Amino acid sequence: MRRLLASVLLMQALCVNFACAGERLLQLVVTQPFLEMRSGPGRGYPVVYVVGRDETVTVLYSRTNWFKVRAPRGQEGWTRREELALTALPSGAPAPIPPYPDFTSHRWEVGAGYGVYNRENLVTAYADYGLTDSIDIEAVVQQAFGTLDNRVVASIGLRHTFIPEWKWFSPTAGIGTAYQHIADKVPPAPLESNNQMAYVSLGARGFITRRFMWRADWRHYVVFNNLNVYEDLEEWKFGLAVFF
Amino acid sequence: MEIRLSSILLAAALLSGCGWFHRGEKPQNQVVVEEPQSDPSVVEPQVTRRAVTTPKIKAKDVELGAYFGALSIQDFGVNPVYGARLAYHVSEDVFLEGFLATSKAGTTSLEDVFPDITVVSNAGRRFTYYDLDLGYNVLPGEIFLGRGRAFNSQLYVTVGMGDVKFAERDQFALNFGVGERLLITDWLAMHLDVRDHVFETSLTGRTKNVDNIEATLGLTTFF
Repeated sequence: MRRLLASVLLMQALCVNFACAGERLLQLVVTQPFLEMRSGPGRGYPVVYVVGRDETVTVLYSRTNWFKVRAPRGQEGWTRREELALTALPSGAPAPIPPYPDFTSHRWEVGAGYGVYNRENLVTAYADYGLTDSIDIEAVVQQAFGTLDNRVVASIGLRHTFIPEWKWFSPTAGIGTAYQHIADKVPPAPLESNNQMAYVSLGARGFITRRFMWRADWRHYVVFNNLNVYEDLEEWKFGLAVFF
Repeated sequence: MEIRLSSILLAAALLSGCGWFHRGEKPQNQVVVEEPQSDPSVVEPQVTRRAVTTPKIKAKDVELGAYFGALSIQDFGVNPVYGARLAYHVSEDVFLEGFLATSKAGTTSLEDVFPDITVVSNAGRRFTYYDLDLGYNVLPGEIFLGRGRAFNSQLYVTVGMGDVKFAERDQFALNFGVGERLLITDWLAMHLDVRDHVFETSLTGRTKNVDNIEATLGLTTFF
């Protein structure tokens, strides 16, 4: 484990250094009276350099809402997205500074949250890909912690967002298939420790700010077993997600 | 008068009859003008068009690294802990972070006094946890080293939940932490963290919430 961690760190450091070498970088011309460069990627960091109109800056990389740029005389600093978007390409075309992804038509989503599964505490993490604006495919991995057993549940399913253009609150419904593994904590052992399941879900989603959103979900699972009994489970959860 | 009119009509009829016999034949000695085959463009461009591509800006919002420190497992002494962390910075204030770490618990006071008593088996002393956290950079700023050097830094708080596997049992755990990120360069950061992992256990006889506080030092890179 220690050796693995050390090698991960070393590989990372090497990748970061080599990635910058020989890369074509974006050049932008300042069209406003000046462009401020700060010492760090945050609104509180002091302005350390100012680039004048018609001068060219080189964009090195971005971090969150900030872009690291290099001035013509080699000074480096951080510029806000909104300010850099006002610059232009050497051809005169507007700077290709990507805006935030549109919430109603975003494609990727990654999130995590807390819930209750079969009256047990639940930790959940999920990834979601939008096939259209209103239909998503969702993959979830979650772990439930009970007093008698722990369960790992993996599921994949489709979800429909009824009115995707409603930004702050939009209801959803879904169906899918799941698999659960029951790890016994207290004897006696469960009669079946692995089950295939199917679920239906009802939920809601909403935009918070920038790339943040929330999701709430209620699911009803039907467990396929060989015990000749009908078994079903309920789950609800709430999570925060980032969309791309 | 009548004879003259008849002769004119006869002549006209004969002429039209001659025309009938010659129908379908191409008129000889007629000059055929051929249509031009090429496009009627005026200027042929001599310069090949060059494809202009705009370089993309690389986003370095992901932070990956490792850490090492001391974990105080309640009732089981202070022990070395080492782990890996992966963070995604959503904005300059907020980040999402995941931890995976392991440690090995020592012995309880009871086991020290009475060596024949075993509270946890040897295999069960392995303490492994994962956490999913939400972090907030509370105090961003700069740290000065001497007169001419300044490092960017952020004091942050984290809150999250996850799993602690101890005594061969998985427990739901909440965790609360505070840490300092010191950026040695814009892509390399040093972390000092203090985090508490709280979970419920009945290992030592009665059911209680235990606090497992760790202090760690880590190194991460942005990519």
